[in-house]
Amino acid sequence: MIGDILNILSNTLFSMVPLTLAAVGEIITEKSGVVNIGLEGIFMLSAFTSTVVTFYTGNPYLGLLVGLLVGALSGVLHGVISVYLKGDQIIAGVGFNSLAYGISLLSLVALWHSHGSSPRVSKIVTFTVGDFSISPLTFVAFLVGILAWWWLEKTPSGLKLRACGEDPKAAEAMGVNVYRTRFYATVIGGALTGLGGAYLVVGWIGQFTKFISAGRGFIALANVAFSNWNPLMAIVGGLVFGFFDALSIYIPIKIQEVTGRVITAESNLFRTIPYIATLIIVAIIMKKVKTPRALGKPYIKE
Amino acid sequence: MAFATGAIVLAVLGFNPGEVYRVLFKYGYSNMNYLLGKSAPYIMTGLAFSIPAIAGVFNIGGESQLYVGAFLGLLTAYYTGNPLLALIVGAVAGAALGLFIAILRVYRGINEVITAIMVNWIFYYLLAYLIAGKFYNPQYSHESIPVPPGARISSMVTFVIAVFVALIYYYLLYFTDLGYRLRVSGLSPASARYAGFDPSRSVLTSMTLAGAAAGLGGALLVLGITYSIDDTLTAVYGIGFMGIGIGLLGRNHPIGIILSSMFMSGLVIGGQWVELKTGAPPELADTLIGVIVIALAIPYAYSMLIRKLRREAQ
Repeated sequence: MIGDILNILSNTLFSMVPLTLAAVGEIITEKSGVVNIGLEGIFMLSAFTSTVVTFYTGNPYLGLLVGLLVGALSGVLHGVISVYLKGDQIIAGVGFNSLAYGISLLSLVALWHSHGSSPRVSKIVTFTVGDFSISPLTFVAFLVGILAWWWLEKTPSGLKLRACGEDPKAAEAMGVNVYRTRFYATVIGGALTGLGGAYLVVGWIGQFTKFISAGRGFIALANVAFSNWNPLMAIVGGLVFGFFDALSIYIPIKIQEVTGRVITAESNLFRTIPYIATLIIVAIIMKKVKTPRALGKPYIKE
Repeated sequence: MAFATGAIVLAVLGFNPGEVYRVLFKYGYSNMNYLLGKSAPYIMTGLAFSIPAIAGVFNIGGESQLYVGAFLGLLTAYYTGNPLLALIVGAVAGAALGLFIAILRVYRGINEVITAIMVNWIFYYLLAYLIAGKFYNPQYSHESIPVPPGARISSMVTFVIAVFVALIYYYLLYFTDLGYRLRVSGLSPASARYAGFDPSRSVLTSMTLAGAAAGLGGALLVLGITYSIDDTLTAVYGIGFMGIGIGLLGRNHPIGIILSSMFMSGLVIGGQWVELKTGAPPELADTLIGVIVIALAIPYAYSMLIRKLRREAQ
């Protein structure tokens, strides 16, 4: 019993990392007035590039760093399109998701002649005590959430960033460069998401697979709404959504253990749990949230 | 531009882009019968994206709406042998799912993109479970029960049905009061309210119409082309997402959607041949579509560019 609880708790703490990192990144981006729904694509691309780097260098920390940089570059792309070219942010995000998925799988075949998964790569250190293990990135996710909250709420530059998302005209009048602020906010958001994507491989699963992101980018977006754009609450959201993710992995394994029956088809049924939970949670809390007022609208200087 | 980017990606990955594109276009557009049949579900998911887009809703749930249409259409065809009933059941199932997403948006204020993606995954795994666990074919266990020969329709007929539905939607959008309301709601919810009708109703209507299209697309796919669904869902996966690219490329216009569907289905068929001949995976199509969609996201940039060029020409 204690072992089961530790197992679920441990998996929750592993699962919360990308959901929190990406949500905190997206909160920073959205607070500045830009919405990036390409998180799923960033997860895919960063997970893949960090796998490649780790495979060829044997160094998962380098993989983590490259994943972060690839995420930042994706943020640069989205920032150029949505801030400077004033493109439709939702459409650009959807396009990026498709592009990133395509490129990752094309590259998977080109490099390893596999349509399903990469070879296993080495992982960053995890701390294990008995049944319970935890990744250092879990602490990083907590820290990033706390720092982002402090920055956005307690510092002048955080205030300026929020002004861009609430009333860009007024922000410009106060001497804030709206374009530049929105652009760097999008890049920071991309970098944090990229770190989460790289973590999927080198911090958690240990290999790249076709469906590795599995809608987690969108669960992270749901977490943004859940948290009401508060990075501290995004940590809680990561834990809540991570818990259901952990449960969906844990239940079929447990049933298999107890009954001795090999479960194949039914495991698919349990995998719906995190998505159903996300839908229910968002449906319950959504009416109360406060979206940044200028979110998703390109700012055009007169 | 998309093809140039695709060529760069291919070259970087060590495939010969010239060879890939030659195979893509030579085989993609050679078998008309296959091309048109394959287009039918794409026309339907293209409509499923575009009708709500015109009303200001972003339907990324064409994927799951197609799944339920395909699956319930298959079951109906299997148990009744009646293709017409199967198509109707598919369309109704899709419509119900579209309406569900719209209800969550209108009455709970939930962003339709998040809902739709969650629903997509829920139905992906649910369908995988049902096919592998309940409705598998005893002879080929990795496949679902088949559509009986009597309930199958030819690929040409699926295309004709799809075009007919697209024309009905065209009429609805541009020649009826309903279409006018949808279009005004999309352009400006405020003026819709001022004109005396509720833009929320447009959200509900457009998503129901969209779901019906995608659900029918799923039923057409199973009854006219694949006759069964495999347990890894490769037969149905991705067609809903493709609808987004098709809708945007067809400028959200039903006639444009018919043409862009034929173009895209050629890419997909060609992509399968490319895989056979050169080993480049079919995800090449996703890459190209991604670039097309991104390029279509920035019309403002093009008008800026054109203005700049004009100024320099003077």
